[in-house]
Amino acid sequence: MTTANEPAVSSALTPPRSETGVVGWLRTNLFSTWYNSALTLIVGVIAVLALVFGLRWVLVQANWLVISTLGGQLFIGQYNIEAACPGQNCFWRPQASLLLVTILFGMAWGVAGGGITKRIALIVVVVLALLAFLPYSFETMGLDVRLLLMANIPAMFLGLALARYTRLGTASGVTIFGVVAFFLTLVLLRGLPGVPGLQPVSVVYWGGLMLNLLLAVAGIVISFPIGIALALGRRSRLPVVKLLCVAFIEVFRGVPLITLLFMSQVLVPLAFPENFHPNSLLRAAIVITLFSAAYMAENIRGGLQALHPGQAEAARALGLPGWQTMLLISLPQAIRNVIPAIVGQFIALFKDTSLVYIIGMLDVVEISRAFIQGNPEFLASAREVFIFLAFVFWIFTYGMSYVSARIERHMGVGER
Amino acid sequence: MAALLQHLTYQGIPVWRHSQVIQWTVQIVSGFLVVFLVAWFFLNIANAIDEREIPYGFGFLSREYQTPIGQHLIPYESSDTFLYAFGVAAVNTIVVSVVGVILATLLGIFMGVARLSGNWLVAKLALIYVEFFRNVPLLVQLFFWFYIVLSLPPVREGYAIAGRIYVNNAGISIPFPFSDGLGSAIAWLALAVAAVIGGAAVHRGLTQREVTTGVASYPIIGGLAVAVVVGAVAWLVIGLIDGAPFVVSVPAPQGAFGRISDGFTMSGGMLALLIGLVIYTSSFIAEIVRAGIQSVGRGQIEAARALGLSPMSTLRQVTFPQAMRVIIPPLISQFLNLTKNSSLAGAIGYSDLTNVAKTMTQTAPAVSIFIMIMAAYLAMSLSYSLIGNLYNRRIRIAGN
Repeated sequence: MTTANEPAVSSALTPPRSETGVVGWLRTNLFSTWYNSALTLIVGVIAVLALVFGLRWVLVQANWLVISTLGGQLFIGQYNIEAACPGQNCFWRPQASLLLVTILFGMAWGVAGGGITKRIALIVVVVLALLAFLPYSFETMGLDVRLLLMANIPAMFLGLALARYTRLGTASGVTIFGVVAFFLTLVLLRGLPGVPGLQPVSVVYWGGLMLNLLLAVAGIVISFPIGIALALGRRSRLPVVKLLCVAFIEVFRGVPLITLLFMSQVLVPLAFPENFHPNSLLRAAIVITLFSAAYMAENIRGGLQALHPGQAEAARALGLPGWQTMLLISLPQAIRNVIPAIVGQFIALFKDTSLVYIIGMLDVVEISRAFIQGNPEFLASAREVFIFLAFVFWIFTYGMSYVSARIERHMGVGER
Repeated sequence: MAALLQHLTYQGIPVWRHSQVIQWTVQIVSGFLVVFLVAWFFLNIANAIDEREIPYGFGFLSREYQTPIGQHLIPYESSDTFLYAFGVAAVNTIVVSVVGVILATLLGIFMGVARLSGNWLVAKLALIYVEFFRNVPLLVQLFFWFYIVLSLPPVREGYAIAGRIYVNNAGISIPFPFSDGLGSAIAWLALAVAAVIGGAAVHRGLTQREVTTGVASYPIIGGLAVAVVVGAVAWLVIGLIDGAPFVVSVPAPQGAFGRISDGFTMSGGMLALLIGLVIYTSSFIAEIVRAGIQSVGRGQIEAARALGLSPMSTLRQVTFPQAMRVIIPPLISQFLNLTKNSSLAGAIGYSDLTNVAKTMTQTAPAVSIFIMIMAAYLAMSLSYSLIGNLYNRRIRIAGN
């Protein structure tokens, strides 16, 4: 039934041309008012100028020779120098460890069944394989090094096949393989006395991006359970346990990491008997892990606090004992709610691995800085080095936050 | 054995199933373990001290430090004591931290608001700023700025801006107020604080009058006038009695090498540290500010616009006061982070607390230094928390 008020012709007028399409978008987003137009023009001119000068610097003025001179040191530090590995070429050992990691990527793809995991795995192996074609001479970068880099592609497909056609193709299978691969990596890098080809390499020579990644992975994996334990301890009804956890968390959060690292170097040799002196790598890993665990505990505690008490009450009413309530009901929800904070903490941990310079370890930042300091002809290229390093770190950290955003969407954080 | 175990009951329940017994056992065992561990560490340290004859205790504090400190913001000589040198380093850290916190907050608020700008270009550029600077390690950024400062021309060929500011590879020299007589400076500062408080009181009173009576009372003009007039009169009076409380010292090149004297010279390390800390922290603050503003209900902004408030007034008087409640707690933790991050100063040659403490451990007992440095950082953390909590209490919704 129509009334007289409604227009007889039902076809609505289309919006004016100036409000739709590109013109409309420009009008609403860039030129909505006179001061917005002025702002757009001024900021736009500055941005274009910055872009032009930036590009010209990157392509023409910058001297990237310093990066190629640094070369393999960026990846493995001094691992392959004569003093570390006398009479042998040890480059294959970090590369073999890398192959283990690629197998793991392939397995993750197989278990996750495509999506973002597949894309990350593909990008990683393609970039690694492309490194084999760097225009170095064959004396600088041998055929073996190049072949091992290219082997990453079959390694990933090996992982994919393992996940698809063997019993390793489950989440727990991948986790077990990951743990095994981590310890295999440590054995490969550290070496076994008496085994030909695997002569021990002192951790003093470990360095470069390899060191950052090792410390970050160890720190992330180990700090997570410790953080959960501390968070639970801090919420415990037992006064002694609570006091100990609060003291631990507040001490580690109150002091800068760099101070803790440095003090570990001075105090640990005093505090432990002489037959037990953890080496610098282990010390750094322990301090970074404990420091990160203290922050992790606070994140998880925040998640637990935000949880509605009805959840735990319902679990208790169903007859679940206390530890099952915590493990099966409270913790999974709490952790899901604080994924952004946890990933933020992991990113911070990765960035913090650059602080090990204070105990004399040559991570990717320190080895570059030491190189510039030791070779005055490259002093003018310091800018290039640090912009390159910023870019390298940015790829890793931004990748982590991108994956985290995907996981959040997948798990529906903030929707339920 | 089984028969024996049957008698181990408390309140009629076997002890290994009695929750209270279990809880107390856990506590006693964990407490004992930790005490044992700490005692073991200290015994080892005591042994090591005895064996290697390392001095211990805090007796070293009154000894002469005998080591130069690169940049010191309060007067320092090598013949000063360890305790005073530690204080110099603490002042270095505190000044960088306070100046850094103020600048990072301003830049962070600016970037956070820009992130939400209706202007697409501005919002995207702010996004790039945030995503880049917070994802790159601070150490890399510090080195970058430090080597930029180092690549500036040497002192003699450095840039002079309006003959007042000198920029060269030694740092930046700016005009700075110094006082000849400490008494007159303190007297004027006290009166100036009183003037500001008086001005604030007048501002408050006039606002009250304007709100209750509706008569235009110009609270901002009135308050400012009181503060400026009282401050100026105090300056004149003190100046007539005892000479000007502060004299602005302008830097100028001197001698054959063109060394910059007078003014305040910020060393390259301090400059790079400040730039790096401010930019790094501001990218985190920007995200906090953005989240805070977004937490304010849309209805609030729409209501403000409906009442005819301009976009600027809406932001200043409606959105921000409400967003502050969400912003303050994480903001405080960013202030703490900035203070703790200033410990990277050592890498670029600025003598902060950690850097000086590191040098001190070569000639002083490490354990004592460690205790002192922990206390110093803890004190700074607590003062920031205290200020933050006081402010937080003021802006909290009444009754919450």
